[in-house]
Amino acid sequence: MTPSDPIIRLENVYTAYEGADRPTLTDISFSVGRGEFVVVGGPNGAGKTTLLETINGMLPITHGTATVCGHDVRGDGVQVRCRVGYLLQNFAFDPLTPFTVEEVVLMGRFGMIGLIRKPRKEDHEAVEKALHLLGIGDLAKRPIGKLSGGQQQKVLLAQNLARDPQVLLLDEPFSNLDMFARESINKLLSRLVASGIAVVIVSHAFDDLPDCRVRVVVMHDGRISLDRECLPADVGQVIRHAGSAPCYA
Amino acid sequence: MLEFIIQNNIVCHAVEAMLFASVACAILGVIITQVQISSIGFTMAHAAFAGAAVGMFLSINVTICAILAGVCVAFLIGPLSDKARVSPDTALGLLFGISMAVAIFFIAYMQTLGQGFSAMGLLFGDVISLYREEIYLLALICVVAVVLVVVLYKEITGIIFNKRIAESVGIRVKPVYYAMLFVIALTVALCLPIIGGLLIYVWLVTPAAIALQFCYRLSAMFMVAPIVAAAISVSGALAGLEYSLPVAPLTAVLFSVVFIAAVFLSPKRRVSFRKY
Repeated sequence: MTPSDPIIRLENVYTAYEGADRPTLTDISFSVGRGEFVVVGGPNGAGKTTLLETINGMLPITHGTATVCGHDVRGDGVQVRCRVGYLLQNFAFDPLTPFTVEEVVLMGRFGMIGLIRKPRKEDHEAVEKALHLLGIGDLAKRPIGKLSGGQQQKVLLAQNLARDPQVLLLDEPFSNLDMFARESINKLLSRLVASGIAVVIVSHAFDDLPDCRVRVVVMHDGRISLDRECLPADVGQVIRHAGSAPCYA
Repeated sequence: MLEFIIQNNIVCHAVEAMLFASVACAILGVIITQVQISSIGFTMAHAAFAGAAVGMFLSINVTICAILAGVCVAFLIGPLSDKARVSPDTALGLLFGISMAVAIFFIAYMQTLGQGFSAMGLLFGDVISLYREEIYLLALICVVAVVLVVVLYKEITGIIFNKRIAESVGIRVKPVYYAMLFVIALTVALCLPIIGGLLIYVWLVTPAAIALQFCYRLSAMFMVAPIVAAAISVSGALAGLEYSLPVAPLTAVLFSVVFIAAVFLSPKRRVSFRKY
């Protein structure tokens, strides 16, 4: 895999949930290069989250080929997930959850460390670095269940950054964040994109996007209906325009 | 093993059996309660009970039948819910119902054949008539439970935190999950003759629930739950044998009393300004 090769490449991909009578994603061909920032938009049920979970191999591909970070998603999903950060949508932890923030962030490296092996010094250093990047180093010893929704969201983002991902898939990352937290996350995302990490984000908050070149992918009914570049300020308008059909309203 | 402390052979065997069973159940109980698979544990316990009843009726090794039934249920839940298009919860309800029906049928039938006394042992447990080999087996399963947690601690904590997040960070969730279920089935089956099919669930759930009242970290729960379980079980065995009371039900009551006390004493429910 050369640096110019796409880090995500999907060709004619179909994804279906177990027991479903029709595919959730239909004929998706899509590639993302290093350092690209992609915003995925579309109505509820369009297949945005399914697209993210197909990229990191959590959902079975029924047809087509998908390669992420040089690994075949169908045959080597675990290797893909060790290299891809995926922030899941809407998580809230019970106050009794028996994990501290640093334990949760360390979990982000468990796949890389491998079965049976213990975390090493560099794993703990990576945790410290990720906590520092998100500005939550002072929360390291706190139980995650005692934090606010926004702080929990930052911890989960730190968990993904702790494994130095080549690709970052973010599903509604701004959902629990206040204005200041959004700004700091956006600055961080800009830095990550500039360092060559590909970021694919599903979001309905188009007002605060990182200051970088943005590619907009609009999905509808499991298909990609629009794929173009635009300025961060225009993302909302482009998505609204693409979705001006009655089904999107 | 504990003859140098307890001279009476019967009491010694009973204490050893309760000690090993409680430690194994408490360790696995932390997993069961935290992964929130209590209903799976519950169904597996009753399937093992049904397997043991069938084994007793057919004069086949009771423990092996209990293990087979417990493991079968653990591996049937997923396929059953997929094929029958029902939720895992409904699948568990179905399997629980079938297990109880089979167990009660064979126990009732054995009573009509005059084998009721041995069948009752399956319901309420029996710590008196234990063979040395059975205690060695319990010690072995205790070691297996400890080794499982020590070796796969990282993966187990990931699954306990959240199965989907664990999968997304590259943990091989399925094999670890099934290894956990297998060891739970094994433990339940081996503990069944001493604790009984109706009470084993108390050993699986209550020590972890008590530990959760005081522990903020999972590692602490894995230490506190077996210590609490061992202390209560050994006390229950000694008190039961001393005052000629049924050991397993008495210990189950002790577990419940300690749990209620723990809820009232838990620092997690107090409002404080403690800095973590």
